[in-house]
Order: sequence, then structure tokens, then C-alpha cells
Amino acid sequence: MSRVLGRGARRSRVRHPAKIAWGIVGVVVALIWVFPVYWMINSSLLSNVTLQSRTPTFLPFGGSWDNFAAVFAGGTFFPALGMSVAIALIVVAFCLLFAFLGALAISRFRFRGRKGFVLAILFIQMLPAEGLFIAQYKLMASVNLLNTVLGVSILYIAAVVPFTIWMLRGFVAGIPAELEEAAMVDGLSRTQAFFRITFPLLAPGLVASGVYAFLQAWNEFTVALVVLQDNADQTLPLWLRGFIQASASRATDWGQVMAASTLVAIPVIIFFLFVQGRMTSGLVSGAVKG
Amino acid sequence: MTAETTIQGAALSIAPSGQPRRRRRSITPYLLLVPATGILVLAMGYPLVWQVITSMQQFGLAQQFGQPAPFVGFANYITLATDPYMWTVIARSIAFCFAAAGLTMLIGVLVALLMQVAPRGVRIALQISLLLAWAMPVVAAMTVWNWLFNWRSGVVNWLLTRLGLPFDGHNWLQDPLSFYAVAVIIVVWMSVPFVAFSIYAGLTQVPDEVLEAAQMDGARGAQRFWNIVVPIIRPVLAIVLLLQVIWDLRVFTQIKLLQDAGSIASETNLLGTYIYQLGTGSSNFGLASAVSIFVLILTIVISAAYVRSMLKADES
Amino acid sequence: MKRKIASVTALALAGVLALAACSSGGTPAPAGAGASTNGKGKTITLWLVGADTPDVARQYLKDEFAKETKGTLDIQQQDWGDIVTKLTTSLPDANNTPDVTEMGNTQSPTFTNVGAFLDITNMYQELGGSKLLQGFVDAGKVDGKNYTLPYYFGSRYVFYRKDVWAKAGITTPPTTLEQFNTDVAIIAAKNPAKINNFSGFYLGGQDWRDGVSWIFANGGDIAKQSGGKWVGTLEDPNSLKGLTQLQAIYKNASKAPNDAKDSNQYIYLNDDDAIPGATPDDKATPVSLSAATIMAPGWAHWSIGVKGKTDGKVTRTWDDKTFGVFPLPGVDGKAAPVFAGGSNIGISAKSKNPGLAKTLLKIIFSKGYQELLGKNGLGPANSDYTASLGNDEFASALVTSAAASKLTPAAPGWASVEAAGVLEEFFSKIKDSTDLAALAKEYDAKLTPMLNAK
Repeated sequence: MSRVLGRGARRSRVRHPAKIAWGIVGVVVALIWVFPVYWMINSSLLSNVTLQSRTPTFLPFGGSWDNFAAVFAGGTFFPALGMSVAIALIVVAFCLLFAFLGALAISRFRFRGRKGFVLAILFIQMLPAEGLFIAQYKLMASVNLLNTVLGVSILYIAAVVPFTIWMLRGFVAGIPAELEEAAMVDGLSRTQAFFRITFPLLAPGLVASGVYAFLQAWNEFTVALVVLQDNADQTLPLWLRGFIQASASRATDWGQVMAASTLVAIPVIIFFLFVQGRMTSGLVSGAVKG
Repeated sequence: MTAETTIQGAALSIAPSGQPRRRRRSITPYLLLVPATGILVLAMGYPLVWQVITSMQQFGLAQQFGQPAPFVGFANYITLATDPYMWTVIARSIAFCFAAAGLTMLIGVLVALLMQVAPRGVRIALQISLLLAWAMPVVAAMTVWNWLFNWRSGVVNWLLTRLGLPFDGHNWLQDPLSFYAVAVIIVVWMSVPFVAFSIYAGLTQVPDEVLEAAQMDGARGAQRFWNIVVPIIRPVLAIVLLLQVIWDLRVFTQIKLLQDAGSIASETNLLGTYIYQLGTGSSNFGLASAVSIFVLILTIVISAAYVRSMLKADES
Repeated sequence: MKRKIASVTALALAGVLALAACSSGGTPAPAGAGASTNGKGKTITLWLVGADTPDVARQYLKDEFAKETKGTLDIQQQDWGDIVTKLTTSLPDANNTPDVTEMGNTQSPTFTNVGAFLDITNMYQELGGSKLLQGFVDAGKVDGKNYTLPYYFGSRYVFYRKDVWAKAGITTPPTTLEQFNTDVAIIAAKNPAKINNFSGFYLGGQDWRDGVSWIFANGGDIAKQSGGKWVGTLEDPNSLKGLTQLQAIYKNASKAPNDAKDSNQYIYLNDDDAIPGATPDDKATPVSLSAATIMAPGWAHWSIGVKGKTDGKVTRTWDDKTFGVFPLPGVDGKAAPVFAGGSNIGISAKSKNPGLAKTLLKIIFSKGYQELLGKNGLGPANSDYTASLGNDEFASALVTSAAASKLTPAAPGWASVEAAGVLEEFFSKIKDSTDLAALAKEYDAKLTPMLNAK
């Protein structure tokens, strides 16, 4: 990573007309991509009556926090947030653990059935989820895991593990086994060697996979719809959809819907910032230089 | 920065390892696979088996409420294969998938290159805006997009009208082609961050000198890019493209939520929404399961050549 | 780690066993079990759909239920968009089924036909009998037995801009359907407010729930039952009369897009000319008013009004000088039959506490609760309590239009017809059709097999 930043820094010193042109193009692309996000936040601060006008209001002047207040007044946001955070953490933790072990197996060992396993985890991602809900419901009902964090987490981990194994296996393969062995010659135990040598090198891979698992668990909504039927056990996407639908069955209050959407996005942004902090810590930067 | 790491991860993950693997026969790899396999069997095993069995039954709402489900063999598959509508939906889905995946890859590569050549401040701004777009929940993003394209008060029409074009009150979702254009724009917008970051990571693996030589100034630069840079980042491109194809072929949420906003469903159905309509909507679970299995097979067929070459690289 | 694997394995095993148990035919509850009406220590679940049932009514149910049975009533709110999915998965599952559930009146036949609900024929008289809204009662009936009953009704009527109508020279509301058709076409042609794409009557191309009134009013229907089989009747001469009038409206009076659905029509009636554009002198699109007339469910009146400010917040207030309502007139000058909105309610056949569930139904159909619904603008299921709706213009439009309202066919496959959007598609093609009879015939051919599929 330092290498990347270094290169950027070096280049920026070169004042070149082409550079400026690319800079302008970059700004335009950035604006296009961020516009829908901006629009969501802008609208969340405006009143519904203003939003129905045919002339868009581009800046939230005269806006207020009323929409957010109305959303919080429902009292259902924080329980849903808790549920979503719990599920996301469980999914990230177990997914990384299971995927790491799996990646170790397929990148460090040759064994009968290896190719079959690789194919299976690739193909299993190709099955459309829209037809599975009855079976998933029956499964969860039969083990009494409907309306539980554990039940949803199990389904999510299974949905995310194939891709994370695929992602991690490259990282594991990229770390020479000799490194660990050399450390063991130097008197470290296998466990010590793993945690002191291999683990730091794997950190970027784990973070990347973790981000992926987190986003999947955070955004998923069809499975949650089927196995979380109790109002008291909702995840944020369900909560948001419920909010939109309840609003639509009367007259949609767009300002409140946008405020609710913003609230669902904020924890993801916080998560990104948090992960970024981890990444810049010394422990990891060493790994990336390799 | 997360972005950069994500990338490197993806890049590495594809790179053929070339590591000598331990060849001793042992039970260790199997033990290592137990947790992952266990959770997959637990969570996917029964639904998968149920789906295969149901696809060969006449299974409707009555069966869901306890009536015995008659076994009908391949009748559901035959019904589908002889239904011209099914083939229309398949053709649409494949076209949509290629358009969306192709555009996502193209724009993703361009944005990644842009990150390379843009000044540092701009690069960071670009990365932050991509991250924000990536962080936006699908349901929220779709609400905003629906609204941007709203025929009456949408910003898109307002802007085009301002530019003097006759788009006042234009309805984007009414005509299937323009419906798909809107859907492609949204899907591409959502997918580009992942692709751009992954490819940018791949690019960081390319030696500086090579990249500098291949700077995009003129035809020679473009040529060098194809001949030198692309082969180096090919593994990243391969896996990212495969994932895009898998995801875009079974795209559901975006299409469903767009259909809720407008358009005539039967003219804009893709495989995902068709399965949903058959199963959830019409309670024809037998037929819906058959379509699902069909999509699985279709995806495998489309990606077979690709997967084979990827596996070969993996084995070497 | 190890413990985790162990528990996961145990879980998997438990799953297999439980599934095996399930597949061996389920476990019928022993006769008489759960028939008790003493709810001490017990909880039953009621699913209500959407936010329509107000909080006071929910609290009333909880309180009364606790008083009558000593039990607890757990009310779960479901969404209209997902209710079919949830009923499909939960109703057959004795351990997780709601004991009592609300559902849309058009969704009722689909579930009653597969035996999802408990036979409550013996309670029918006690709960209101012939006083209950008969169309809804029929939607919950199979082979002469009652499974679900009406919960509340809503209705659709016409909202219009008195000021715009007057500017176009029409000062009295139409009294026949024909006159209505002519009036809205005149207003669209005159476009007195000089607004781009102005609709005399805004009717969305896919809005069959409002548009079907023209078919009903001319004596037509979507489908009829003959010889135990459902047959699409869009091609019948009476239906065609309605379709021809609709085509004229789509062509001459409405500027709505042909894929517009039945949602949020009220925004087209509101006036937003006070909102400034991006720049102070922006006159490009100064108003948002787009229609002189709309048809919508009664609650839309909460969202229609003149813009104002209270405590710094922008609000809308209904103004009798600007806005008015009337029930859609029929061909004969009486109210036209419109699409009946509303819900049915029933006891799950798998409920473990049918006795308590029946007690809950008694509370729902009691005078106290029915009048509570009426006071909150929901049409009470029992006609004895209709007066509780009040006597303002909205209440009278609701009652008049509801009295003439009609339900969709109570066919087993109706839910599939709605899910596949067949009528939406059909209506969207009316405007540009050159041969309505052929179009109607084509869609009858699509409807008939779907209606009869179980």
C-alpha cells in the first residue's frame, strides 16, 4: 500500500497538462458516482411537500432534521440495528474462520476431491435464490431457528463462504510455506509461527474478504424476509423495506424514506472507516510491501 | 486504505500460486474443509435437494398446504422448453447479462486506470465516492434511482429538459428497451466500485516501469496496455468478469424494484423476476424450481470454458 | 471451534430428523385440544397487514382480549408486498402460524381454496350474519362454508379540482358516467391552467383497479363462473362497451404514462406553484399540478390540499373551495360499481388455540371494535355500524361508492393473475389498440386457465 501511495505522491509532483486533464475527468467521474448518495442525503433533509415539486431542490437550504426525528420516533430503528450488527459480526467472524481453513486446504494440499470441491463452491453461487425460500423456511422451522440471529447467520455464512474461500486461497498460496517452516527452525512452535509470520501476511486478504462478507450480510434481504417474520426480530434492510411499504400504503413520505435509507448506510461507512484504520496500522503495512 | 487492500486481495487471489503443494497423503485437508463443507451442507443441502425434487413434481399452493405432490418427471422442464416466453426471457437475460457485465468491466478498467493517472487528491476523492456508492444498501439505492428517473419529478428529465431536449414528462420505464437501459445504468453503477478497486489492485502488481511505458498517451500507449498490462492483470480480470456474469445473470432485486415503479412486467421480466413470479406470485413452485435448476445449468454452460481455463491456471 | 462444529453437526442432524418427521404426514392436533377459551398464560398471534389498523384499535384488541381470556394478544404487522410469501410459508406450519390473520380480500380465495383456514360457519350468525358485507363474505366462502370474513372495507371515489373544472366552464359534478367521460375530455382539451401534459382525468395505463369501474358500470365483468369453471369475460359485449369508453378516456382525457400504476395519484391534483426553482426567476416548470381529476382510495384526502405552513413546516390543508369529491356516477345516474378495497380475516387451520382465536374474532366483530374502525375512516364490516364513519363528504362518498362496489372473481387462481400482472398488461394496451374485441379475446384466453389453476 505504501508503494501505491508513494507512487501517487511522486507522480503528483509532475505538473503535466495531461495530468490536469485526467484530474478533471476523475472529478467528473467521482461526482457522477457520488450523486445518488448525495441525493439521498439531500432529500432526507427536505420536507415531503418540497420533494414533490417538479423542480428539484439541489441544496437542503431550509431543510431540517424532522425526517430523522420522525424515523427515530418509530422506535424500531435501534433494535433492527442491533440485530443487523449481531448478524454481520457473526457472519464476518465465522465466514473468515471457515474460509481461511478451507483456503488453507485447497491451496496448501493436493488431495482427492480437491477439484470437485473447488467446482462445487464455484457452482453453488450460481443457483438463483428466488426459488429457495420455501425450503429455507422449512429448514429453519424444523430446527427451531426461525426469528433468530443464529438461523439467519447460518444461511448467510453458507451464502458467503464459497466466494471468500475463493478469494482467500490466492492469499494463502501467495505466502511461501517455507517462511513458516524457517520460523519453526528458529524455535517457534507451529502456532507461534502461524501467528507471528503467516497471519500478518494474510491480514489484507482477511480484511478484503471480511469487507465482502460484511456488505453481503448487511444488505441481504430476501432470506431475511422469509426466516425473520417477527416484528421484534428485523434486520435493517427489512426495517427499511417495511418503512417504505408502510409509507407507500398511505402516501409515500419520500423525505422520511430517504432519512431511513441514510441511517442504514451510515454504519457501513463507519465500518469502512474502521477497517481503513486497521489497515494503516503498522502490523499490516508490513504485509503489503511484500 | 480499504480500497487498495481489497484490491490487492483480489489480485493475489487470482494469481496462480506456483507454490509447491505438500503432496503427502494426510487427513488434514479434509479436516480443514469440515467447517466450510458442514455449513454448506447444513444450509444449502436441503434446499438444493428440495429444489431438484420439487422441479420434478406438480407442486402448488395445495401441496404446500399438505396435499401429496404428484411426481411428474420432466414435465415441468418440457413445459418450459416448449414455452416461447421462457426462451424470450432467457434471451433477454443473456443479453442483459452481457451488456451489464461488459459495460461494468469496461468502465471498471477505465476508472482503475484513471485512479492510476489522476493526481493524488482526485484519486482519493474518486475512491471515496466509489466507496460511498458501494456502501449504499440496495433497497435504498433503488429508491433513489427510481426517483431520479421518475417521469414527472425526476432529476434526469429535469436536466435534459433544461438542456433543451424534449424530455418533459418522458417515461423511461414504459418502453422495454429504455427500461433495460435504466436497469443497466443502475447495475453498472452498483458494480463498478468492486470491479474498479479489484483491477486497481491488480494494476499495483504491475511494475512501475511497465506501467509508465504504457501510459495512455496515444495509440502506442493503448497497444502497450493491451500487450503488456492486460496479460499481467488477466487473472484479476478473469475472476471479476466471471463474478459479474454470475451476478448479472441472476439479477433480481434491481429489476423487481424497477418493475414495481413502472413498466409492464411481462415485457421486462428477466430470469430472476420470472422465477419470483412463478413461485412466490403464482405458487407454482414446481415450475419455479425447474427454472432455477435451468438457470444453474445455463450459468455453468456459459462459464464452462472460462472455469476450465481458470482451473488450468490454478493447477499449473 | 470444536464445540461450534459439534453444535453445527447436532443441528444438521436435528434438521434431518425433524424433516423426516414432517414428511411423515404432520401431526394432527387431537380433537378438542385448544378449544378452550381460557387463555391464562397463553399467547395468540394476530397478523395485521399494513399500517391501516390504527394504534388505538390495536390497543383495544389487546385490552379486550386480556380482559376476556386472561391471555396475551401478540399483534404482528406485516407488509402488503410480502404478505402472500409469509402466508404461504407460515400458515401450513403449526408451530409458527399466526392464529388469526388479515389478508387482502382478493387474496382470500387463493388460501381458502387450499384449506388454509378454519371453518367458522357455526360462528357466522353470531358474528353478524347477513349484516356483514356480502361480497367479502363470498370471497371467504368455499362450498357454502365460511372460512374468512370481512375485516374492513375501503372504496374508491373521484377527487377533483373545483377551480379548474369551473375555469373550463363546468360547475356541477356529472351525474352519469357518460357525462363524466365527456366532462373530463372537455377539460383536457381546454386545459384552462395552460399546463404541459395536463390530464382532465388522470388514469394510469396500468391502473386497472380504478379503470375496471368502467367495465363494471356497463354491466361487464372480468370473469364469471359457469359450470364450476371460471371463464374470462372481457370480450363480452358489456365489458367491451366499458373498454371503448376507457379507450376514449386514455386517448382524450388522460396524459398519464401507459405504465403508470395505482399509486400516489393525489400528487397530480396538488398545486405546487409556490415552490421556487433552482434560480429565483426559474419559470421553466413552475407548477406541479397535472390533473383536474383523479380516482383514488378514500384515504388520499389526507394528502390533498392547499399548501401552507404551520410552525415552519410545510403542510397541506383540504379546502372545500378548491377540492371536491363525488362517487363515480354509473350509466343510470346511481353510483357506479367500483373496485371494492378492503381486507378479510380468518383463523389459521393450524392454530393451536382455536378457542382463543374464536374469542378474538368475537371481539373484532363486536360493536365497540367495529365503531372504532369506523371512527378511524375504515369501513366497518357490519352494516349496522356504518354510521360511525361520520357524515362528512368523505364518509358519504365512501359509503355510497362502497355500497355499489364489486369484488374481483373469487377464483382459486386469482392471486396468480395479480402476481403475473395480467390485468395491468391488458389495461396498458387499451389506449393504442386498434381492435379492442381481439385484444379482450386474447386476454380472456390468458385469464381462463390461470383462474382455474389451483
